[in-house]
Order: sequence, then structure tokens, then C-alpha cells
Amino acid sequence: MPFEHHKDALIEAAATGVEPESELRAHLESCDSCRAAFAEEQALFASIDAGLHVKVNADVPVSLLPRVRARLDEAGAPRNSWITSGFVLAAAAVVVVAFFAARSVRRTNVGNEPGETSVKTGIPPVTPPSQKQTAVVISPVGKNSNSPRQFNSVKNSAATEASVRRNNEPEVLVPRDQEVLLAAYAEQWSRHKRAPLLAQDSDATILAQLRIAPIQIDELGVKLLAEEK
Amino acid sequence: MQEMVLIQAGGMARGESVGEAVEADVRREFEARLAECGPLAYRVARGVLRNTADAEDVAQEALLRAYRYFDRLRDRNRFRSWLVRIAFRLALDRLRSRKRSEVRDTLWSQPEHRPPAATAEDLAASNEFQTHLDRALEELPEKLRLVLLLAALEGHTIEEIAGMVGISTGTVKSRIFYARKQLAEKLRCHSNTIKTR
Repeated sequence: MPFEHHKDALIEAAATGVEPESELRAHLESCDSCRAAFAEEQALFASIDAGLHVKVNADVPVSLLPRVRARLDEAGAPRNSWITSGFVLAAAAVVVVAFFAARSVRRTNVGNEPGETSVKTGIPPVTPPSQKQTAVVISPVGKNSNSPRQFNSVKNSAATEASVRRNNEPEVLVPRDQEVLLAAYAEQWSRHKRAPLLAQDSDATILAQLRIAPIQIDELGVKLLAEEK
Repeated sequence: MQEMVLIQAGGMARGESVGEAVEADVRREFEARLAECGPLAYRVARGVLRNTADAEDVAQEALLRAYRYFDRLRDRNRFRSWLVRIAFRLALDRLRSRKRSEVRDTLWSQPEHRPPAATAEDLAASNEFQTHLDRALEELPEKLRLVLLLAALEGHTIEEIAGMVGISTGTVKSRIFYARKQLAEKLRCHSNTIKTR
């Protein structure tokens, strides 16, 4: 069939609306059936376009915009998504900042433990197991202790935490080279509950040596001038 | 420990007034676009749906939704394309739900309750073609359908459609071509054309 041979070209020409190519145009001039088919295809596409145009470009109901405005008034303000999202972001930021702040504080404490002295009240020091500990924990021995010179000097171990937890006395974390001196100080403190080298203990001896004697003034002798002659 | 007291009486009033001013600005800005783009939303919905009442409902819903999320739209110049997509999507949803309800109605309704057929012969023929066109449109892929409807709207160039849909002008042209071709294939059997050849 001659039409089947040109069918696709005819449909394409009708769909695009452009003029058929010269070969097809020559065929259309000589073939009545193809010319009629091409005209029908053009009519079909024209009716599709017209139908779409009618369908899409219908008159807009006059009630549309007033009804939309009325519903807008009922609906009120648009949803402020930036407020809710802002709150969420702010809360998330606070959580993140708090987390990193707590982490940095903890790291600082752990990093400073070997070099500085800190006083703790019942809570054992937390250190990573791999870290070499050069500080020791000293706790003054209570009055009910059997040994008067007993003091706890333990290195970082599991026993440290257990013993420290049992002992409610204040603890001092000291450098290793000051261990003996400060242990003696702690022992003396636990015995007398006072510092051994306070100024008030030395007042009697030191201040006595420094005492200044009162000024000595001889009595004045008064004689008459005539008698002297 | 120092006691902290937060007093915000003046700040609250100031905040409310600022909020009201922002709200009024948004409403004013939206109103300016409403007059221009409201008909567009209706026409897009009408292109998808078969009756004007559904199209009006969908257009209202699309405009309300656009207002509700207006502050999320960073580039306000994109409002038209944004609204077109909202209206198109809502119209498709409405069409699907209507189809489901039509199936239920067909199963349960009595024949005497159906609307009477049109009397005028030419009107019947026109309505028949339009019905077939509607059905053929519904069977088109969504991306082809949207571009074809926008192309059928008055006063929209290929460049404007490309901007609204977010594709190139070449893609717009090819989609229009394939959409019309598919429609013609579906409608050919309903017209006195080359179906018998």
C-alpha cells in the first residue's frame, strides 16, 4: 500500500505542523488517498489542539478569588516554618555545644591530673587505663585507725578506686616527689587537726626574741649654779 | 547563687508587633500574586479534571497550600512554576480519588439515576470527542501531560514553559510532540481518520 509506506512521515508532518519534505510533497500531489489521509491527520491534530485549548482556557469562575481570600482569612498567618526549624536548630546547637564543652572539660581534667594537685571529695579520679600515672592519692588516716603513721599511697589501679570509695576523707592528688612530705603533713593533720607550722605555734619563741626592750633614761640631777661656783 | 529573673514584657509586645508586620507583608505579597496566578492554578486543574467545580476546589486548595508554605519559597520569582506544580499534583490526586469513587458509583448506582444524554447531535459529538480527549489525556504520562497543558494555555511561550517546569526548551518541544502524537494514536480510532487503513 502506498499509504503504509508514507504513514509515519505523514503523521510526523501533521504532528509537527511543518511543511512535508519535497519527496513526500511530490507523492501527495500524485496520491489522492495519501492526500486525504494527510488532511485527516491534520484535522485530528487540529481538533486535539482545539479541544485542549477549550479545556484549559475555560473562563475562571468569578467566585474563585473571593473564596480563596475568605479561606485565607480563616486560615490566618502562614506557617512560620523558620520559627519551628529555628527552635529545633537552636536546641540541637545547645546540645552539641554542651556535649563538646563537657568533653573538653573532662579532657582538661584528665590531662592535668598528673601535674597538679586537686582536692576531691569522695569521687575517685578518672583516668584512662593506658595513661602512665605519676601522681599518687593521699588520704589522711582517721582517728580510729590502728596504725598512727598509716597513709594510703597507691598507684593507679583498680584497688585505688575501691579503697578511695570506702574512705570518705578528703583526698589530695599530689606529685610523686612530694609524696613523703605531704604524707607526713597529712598524718600530722589527722592527728592534731591543725597545721604543724602555723604561725600561732611559734608566737611564744619567735616573738620573745624580737621583743624590744624599753628605753632606759637616767634620772636627771638638778644643781644650783651658785653652789657649783 | 545569684537568682536569675527573666522579664520580657516589653520584648514580647515588640515581638508580636514585628510578627504581625511580617505576616501583613507576607499576605500583601501573596495577594499581589494571587490575582495574577490564581487563574493559572484553576486552568491547570481544569486541564487535568473534567468539571469546573472540581477544578475550582483544587485551585483553592493549591492557593491555600501555596500561602501556607509561602515563606519556604526562597525565590519568589519561581512562584508561578511552584503553584503550577502544586495545582497539577493536587488535580492528579483528585482525579485518582474521583476515579475510585466513580467505580463505586458504577457498582452501586441505578441506571435511572444516570444523567440524561445530550439531545443536540452536534453537542453530543463534541462532548464525545471531549470525553475521549479527557480519557486520552489521563493516560498520558504526567511529565508529558503537564507540558502539553501548559502549552495549550494562552500566553505561554516555550521558554516560559521551560522555566516553569525546569527543563530545557528542546525538552519542552519534544514532550509536546510526543504528547500530541500519543493523543492522536488514542483518538484516531474515535475519529473518521486513517484507522481502517
